[in-house]
Amino acid sequence: MIELRVRTVDAKHIRISGIDPLLAHCLQQLPEILEQRDAPTARDRLFPLPTTADRKTNDDWQQNVTPELRHLFASAGEIVLRDLTALSPPAGASRRHLTFPAEHANAWLSALNQARLILGATFSITDEDMNATGFDLNDPRQKAVLQIHLFGYLLQLFVEHEQQDSV
Amino acid sequence: MADTGTVIIEKTKTKETLDTPWNVIVLNDPINLMSYVTMVFQRVFGYARERAERHMLEVHHKGRSLVWSGGREQAEHYVHQLHSYQLLAHMEKSEA
Repeated sequence: MIELRVRTVDAKHIRISGIDPLLAHCLQQLPEILEQRDAPTARDRLFPLPTTADRKTNDDWQQNVTPELRHLFASAGEIVLRDLTALSPPAGASRRHLTFPAEHANAWLSALNQARLILGATFSITDEDMNATGFDLNDPRQKAVLQIHLFGYLLQLFVEHEQQDSV
Repeated sequence: MADTGTVIIEKTKTKETLDTPWNVIVLNDPINLMSYVTMVFQRVFGYARERAERHMLEVHHKGRSLVWSGGREQAEHYVHQLHSYQLLAHMEKSEA
């Protein structure tokens, strides 16, 4: 059995290996998901206000900080989408892999988390949804929960990789 | 005399504003991974793993955690950092 892994291949590169067809399909949908960043529900989640009551601070934040965050998130997404062009081609039933510069690890953390949050906000995903088992891929909401879990699994591997590096 | 009194009141008000601590609060959401939130607390605040996990669990179980308290400017910086990692965070003036 080949497991999904995120590992350092040399001083300058990281590899995701063991990418199955379902995860590959979900990764190829990242551009479409990240494009929803500025849809109203996703925007409210990705760009929250810094205070609950201070209108002036909130206005200043939206004018000055939010565009900077939007640029940061978009840049991370673009880096990951470029990296995805190196995804190894499908070959029968074998798993695919992807090697990219180690300095892109933070962009992957950001893009995967953005995608999860965008899907969560778009479909108003709850704790109950997240605890469900069994997914009907013809149901957009259930498909979104499955994508959130798959991206979460990969994100978890990135977090573990990050923590190994910092030990 | 009246002018002098006004100046004293303004100074007092300014000092109060400067001295009032601001709390940085992180809120729960059903999507963010617990391990990711812990990592962000370690990165943003430099907290040890145990302290970062304690705050993460407080967010998870109680819906919110006061993760830092101090001057307004630094609180804004931390909220900015937390938003850059896509955590739900805001700052509020301490009632203490």
